[in-house]
Amino acid sequence: MKWILIIVLIFVIMLIAHSISEQYKDKYDFYNNLKLFLNQFKINISFRQEKINDFLNKTKAKKQFNLFINSYKNYLKTNELDLSQIKILNDEEKNDLENIIKNIGKYDTENEIKQLDNFLLTVDMKLDSAMQDKNKLCPMILKLSLLFAIGLAILLI
Amino acid sequence: MLKEYLDRDIYNLIIKNFNFSDITEIRMRINSNLIIVIKNKKYYLKDNDQNNVKVDRLMLDNFIKRASENSIYAFNENIKNGFITLPKGIRVGLSGTVVTDGEKIVTIKDFQSVNIRIPHFVKNCSLMAFDYIFDGDIKNTLIISSPGSGKTTFIRDIIYQFHQHNIPKNILVADERNEICTTVNGETSLDLGDFCDIYTNCSKKFAFKNGIRSMRPDLIITDELDLENDLDSVMEAINSGVNIIATIHAQDIHQLKKKPSFARVIDEKYFQRYIVLTSDEGPGTLANIYDEKLNCIYYKTR
Repeated sequence: MKWILIIVLIFVIMLIAHSISEQYKDKYDFYNNLKLFLNQFKINISFRQEKINDFLNKTKAKKQFNLFINSYKNYLKTNELDLSQIKILNDEEKNDLENIIKNIGKYDTENEIKQLDNFLLTVDMKLDSAMQDKNKLCPMILKLSLLFAIGLAILLI
Repeated sequence: MLKEYLDRDIYNLIIKNFNFSDITEIRMRINSNLIIVIKNKKYYLKDNDQNNVKVDRLMLDNFIKRASENSIYAFNENIKNGFITLPKGIRVGLSGTVVTDGEKIVTIKDFQSVNIRIPHFVKNCSLMAFDYIFDGDIKNTLIISSPGSGKTTFIRDIIYQFHQHNIPKNILVADERNEICTTVNGETSLDLGDFCDIYTNCSKKFAFKNGIRSMRPDLIITDELDLENDLDSVMEAINSGVNIIATIHAQDIHQLKKKPSFARVIDEKYFQRYIVLTSDEGPGTLANIYDEKLNCIYYKTR
């Protein structure tokens, strides 16, 4: 019985650690998708000139990025922006995102592209930082959690 | 039809105080009262306390944002020419700060006012004139009126008349501002018959040149001819055996005669009919018809 409890404890600790590290991976994926989205949008503006709503409808997204797309579509419909569902971003990051959403589509082609380039610079920085976090923190969290779980198991034995 | 573009409160006030189908223009100027135009008469929009509704920056920007579907870049070619066309042919005239690069207009920003012009499809408004335009052969026709006197409504009805009279002529509409046929995603909500091809949002030069080559029209219909720039295209079309029906801005034939380039039109007899419209009894009222020598062959009895 004791061994079963210890195994369950180790499993639960590792599960928590995994879900925490997944957040870092999700954030990295989110910024990666955002970068791709902005780049594709830039191409759209240069060549196809599709309206933002049509472009959003054609964008396929998963997980957290899908929440962003849905919030964006909702904003275009209602003029109210709610990014609270995107849990992986902190307030500052949400403000940056809000700034992007509220400023896309305000300018002529040339200035829109310039603005998208500026957004892409910011997103690139966020992406770098998310990648560093993912590469550094994810293994560290998993290792520390494993050590913590083993230590706890030894204490319990 | 403007519900999705205007602020909800404003839209509700408009439909509460006016019959929406009568409205021809809605004018919004920053820090000025919102004005509704019905049959050339101007009315202030009143709120529930009977105060005039004033237009502010937010109201104007929100309207333009919605009109451009949050995608100014997609409308910039139109914005540079001072307008956006909404579905159903609603034309939004824009004024503001014009941004230039040398002589090239880049865009208009810091919008100061909008003029929302709502088109009306007045069936048979051109019926009286139609006999003068088509007597077995199509006469090259220039329709003359001042802005807001129903030129577009009139030529839209001419297209309808060709359909109604079962005249199997290929009609090419060079719809530079998407006002005549009001297409959305290539489809028009108007009943234009089986013989109508449409070029939208392109220059007349392009439409005339490519249209004659590729669509083989018998008749080209176009709006707002620019005598300085479009005459060569018109001449080319006429020399190719294609008839033209076009509109032009002028109060009457006498004012048109004062334009230097009009002398060439008369000398070379480009048009066989000149139809003058007024807005005396509402937009599209037929005033006079002249032949190619500018003899009056029809005048409206008062």
